[in-house]
Amino acid sequence: MARFVLMRVGHALLVLVCVATLVFFLDRVTGNPVQVLLPPDATVADAQQLSQSLGLNKPLIVQYLNYMGGLAHLDLGQSLYYRSDVVTLIAQRFPATAELAAGALVFALILAVPAGLVAAVKRGSLADTALMSLVLLGQCTPAFYIGIILIWVFSILVPVLPSSGIGGFNHLILPAVTLGSYSLAVIARMLRTQLIEVFGEDYIRTARAKGLSGIRVIVGHALRNASLPVVTVVGLEIGSLLGGAILTETVFAWPGLGQLTVQAIDNRDFPLVQGIVMLFVTTFLVVNLLVDLFYGVIDPRVRLS
Amino acid sequence: MTNPFSRRDFIRASALTAAGGTLLAGCTTSSSGSGAGSKGGLGGTLTMSQPADATTMDPQLQGDVADMNILINMFDCLTTRDSQNRLVPQLATSWKAINPTTWRFTLRKGVKFHNGEPFNAAAMKFSIERLLDPKTGSPIVEFADAGVTGVNVIDEYTADIVSKTPAPIIPEQCALFDGVMVPPSYITEKGAAYFAKNPVGTGPFKFVSWQPGAQVTMEANSSYWGGAPSLSQLIIKPVPDSATALASLQSGELDMVTGLVGSDVQPVAGASGIKIVSVPGIRCYFVNLDTEAAGPLSDVRVRQALNYAVDVEELIKVVLAGYGQQIATMFPSSAFGYSSSVKPYPYDPQKAKQLLAAAGYPNGFSTKMSANATNSLLLQAVAGQLSKVGVQVSQKTYAVQTFTELDYVNHGNALGPTYVVNNSGWSMDAYSYLQSYIRPVSRSSRWNNAQATQLVNTEQTSVDPTARQSAFAQLQNLMIEQAPFIFLYVSDVVLPMSTQVNFKPNGLGMQAMTSASIG
Repeated sequence: MARFVLMRVGHALLVLVCVATLVFFLDRVTGNPVQVLLPPDATVADAQQLSQSLGLNKPLIVQYLNYMGGLAHLDLGQSLYYRSDVVTLIAQRFPATAELAAGALVFALILAVPAGLVAAVKRGSLADTALMSLVLLGQCTPAFYIGIILIWVFSILVPVLPSSGIGGFNHLILPAVTLGSYSLAVIARMLRTQLIEVFGEDYIRTARAKGLSGIRVIVGHALRNASLPVVTVVGLEIGSLLGGAILTETVFAWPGLGQLTVQAIDNRDFPLVQGIVMLFVTTFLVVNLLVDLFYGVIDPRVRLS
Repeated sequence: MTNPFSRRDFIRASALTAAGGTLLAGCTTSSSGSGAGSKGGLGGTLTMSQPADATTMDPQLQGDVADMNILINMFDCLTTRDSQNRLVPQLATSWKAINPTTWRFTLRKGVKFHNGEPFNAAAMKFSIERLLDPKTGSPIVEFADAGVTGVNVIDEYTADIVSKTPAPIIPEQCALFDGVMVPPSYITEKGAAYFAKNPVGTGPFKFVSWQPGAQVTMEANSSYWGGAPSLSQLIIKPVPDSATALASLQSGELDMVTGLVGSDVQPVAGASGIKIVSVPGIRCYFVNLDTEAAGPLSDVRVRQALNYAVDVEELIKVVLAGYGQQIATMFPSSAFGYSSSVKPYPYDPQKAKQLLAAAGYPNGFSTKMSANATNSLLLQAVAGQLSKVGVQVSQKTYAVQTFTELDYVNHGNALGPTYVVNNSGWSMDAYSYLQSYIRPVSRSSRWNNAQATQLVNTEQTSVDPTARQSAFAQLQNLMIEQAPFIFLYVSDVVLPMSTQVNFKPNGLGMQAMTSASIG
């Protein structure tokens, strides 16, 4: 087990170095941030001076080595646009993104598990078709459209929820529903497929033959065996919820990393873009490692192998 | 992992959300007019939105409207603009050029920063020299470009701004953040990084808090030298999506929405509890023509024909939902240097065809035209109008930053023979509108005309308003005659707000809320 974890951590570090290198150079292909920072009528001398004060006039390889050196000490550098520490900027925004992702995941799970269960148990029925069509609609509709419709209904038509911004629990509801509707569909459909497969297994027939109640067979035997791929999907969804909330955050003016990412890319704020990407990648790697470890808890067969 | 969607997708998404907003307003039958302001105390709270968050609270380290919108309420400049866009005193009570390279400012007495520190000539010297100091790394470069070298203190309330070369529009530039006054002792004691998070100015509102991405809160400065503002609290929130911002205005969560153009606000036009206030702005639009390359555009008749072929009133209706004014040349009537005797080209497609035929293009010709993504609708509309006189335009749209960069280098030639561009003259002096586009040395100039060059030199080096006005008037006549650009319009500053709000904006697009009230 320890060897497995060590290998995975080593692998993750390698991925991080590759991503850091890739992002560093790709960023610089987009153009020069000095042009974004200066007013339209700035002269060439102004641009040179600002380049120098931001350290952008140094040879690329020197900038790269400085950046990687800083990274080794968890120093992500200074934002060019905000003139502030990248770690601080990310730390200011991360809680809002985490809150939104958690809200979206809770919303998705609360609805996806019963929906998947009912659809699998009543396979082929009207309930199955209706539920699966509904979740598919959630998966197909872009976040900005769901968001605007929800705002129209719940902030203007029946004004019960705030339309934007961060605050109490009521501010979280609309963005969480918007962001979670995609994950809801992914999880519910995965669960349904897995359950249908498991229902055909011998051990389910055995459990039923033993005279166990329908509920006990479904929850105790089928659900547990069907959950392994579902946990993988949930893990992947956590990764994308943390990194993929850009549209939802924009529509709801949610002060998270998504909005910061858009601004950073627009402003060619290289250190900030790099920092955010590193955070997303690290989160993704950590969540996936945890999911792998969690397999053993759910399914002893994984532990044995 | 990289950003999961491209910039183009984002723009498309924004356009679709805007369409969603149209749908949204169409379905609305009632809206709350109570406004967010009702939750405030005496004087009330006004909550307004803008498309982006602040980047810093240091007025000398920022360069965009989102920051200025906030900071203009906490800081004062030496001069300012009134609601008619006239240059009026702020922390300076009077000013005069004592020679072409020295402007003398007399300062307001009895003004204190929010921390109690006095404002005086030493503070002015500190402020301007901090701005000029390369170590500050300020993106505000107008003073440096004008050759300003520093400030000489004459007495406690008198100081001179000195430049290497004649600098005729220093007082106008002082109404921008070049002329912003910051507290010397506070910055020296606490450091720049602390100041950038805990700003102290002399302005009508005092800083309370900044929740990044969420809101900036300010409270009234009851001892403001110009009298305490009516509002007791001012909150500015970043709301990037225009449809969301307008929905929040309708639901009463916002009292005012800033940063929109005319066509954005159509969804709430006529909604109950909401009014749309507009004033002529400073953002001017035109098409830059490459007059120097061989081809049809080197012929003055062709350039005149293009101006006759464009129906600017129609463009204003289509692109700006009517919120704009036609301009004769490249700057609005509010700018210093404007000449009322110069008339814009009328829409006359017949005349355009005659001129094209006379120039040897009876069936028109083909050309290319580019624009940045935010001007794509204008590009399409202009191209459509030109096709009616036989000029076939192939269109190309660039991402905003890419377009700007191509415009800056090699006279914008990478953008092709013609491109749509907009230009804001923050100083409200014609010089700011012309400096980058006329005279061969300018970055985006594609018109080499000896007389024009000489006139620009005259207005740029003289501090005599009469001489400058005369040079500008001659230049405008020359521009109409030579038509080196297709002249279009100036867009309005458009502010949808609750009917509870009383506020008259100026044209700069920065919202100084001193005179605003609510309820």
